[in-house]
Amino acid sequence: MSATNTPLVRPDRDEDTSTRDDAALDRGWLVICWNDPVNYMAYVTHVFQRVFGWPKQKAEFHMLQVNNQGKSVLTRETLEKAEHYVHQLQHYTLQATMERAE
Amino acid sequence: MKLLAADKDWLRFQLSDGEKAVLLDVLGLYPCVPPAYHRLSREPRDNADRERQRLLDEALAEQRAQHRRLLQALLHNPDTFRKVGTRWQMTLRRGDFDWLLQVLNDVRVGSWIALGSPEQLPRKLPRDAAQAAHACAMELAGLFQMVLLDAVEGETAP
Repeated sequence: MSATNTPLVRPDRDEDTSTRDDAALDRGWLVICWNDPVNYMAYVTHVFQRVFGWPKQKAEFHMLQVNNQGKSVLTRETLEKAEHYVHQLQHYTLQATMERAE
Repeated sequence: MKLLAADKDWLRFQLSDGEKAVLLDVLGLYPCVPPAYHRLSREPRDNADRERQRLLDEALAEQRAQHRRLLQALLHNPDTFRKVGTRWQMTLRRGDFDWLLQVLNDVRVGSWIALGSPEQLPRKLPRDAAQAAHACAMELAGLFQMVLLDAVEGETAP
């Protein structure tokens, strides 16, 4: 075991990191739901309605996109909101991730 | 198990002795999904991503603990199950609906993971006893989920 701790972020890199994060924030973050063979279509639709407050028609559109195309970009948000939505979707055991918008 | 009645505060289901026993067995399996299953990002790039993953892991651990408490409270509440004639009536408050759905889905998905996360769900009961138990748990959790979903779906259908 090492006797000294190495900082995780070098002080001289702080500015670069924050600049990159600001740029990522401007582009926003994508909340993506991925297909799996185990979650029922009716369940996924229900979850989208609950988490995003969407009407059934919109929830079903995204559920079908997940089912037919393997994934659906559900929304583009700020970092905090994207994180919140992914947490909510994962609470329902859906495979949801957040990725920086390119 | 079928929906008997509902109002703005609660939903009431009718179950046989066998259905009640199976439901309690399925709920007793919670939690099933291994914590490592939940990924915030497919390709964590930096320390910020790892920190966000840590926060998600904490939030989900807290949720599991909370669900266990809620489940114990629900199952020990004398108003939840009531014997009427030869059948049971299970009364759920509206506020219990979504977390119970999450618990059942955890058992369904966790059992699927225990089966090796197959792309094709098993059409027959596996011969291996442990695998057969996982397959049964997955199907039964799904069955109860669909009864719950149908109950609220019926209310919003035109």
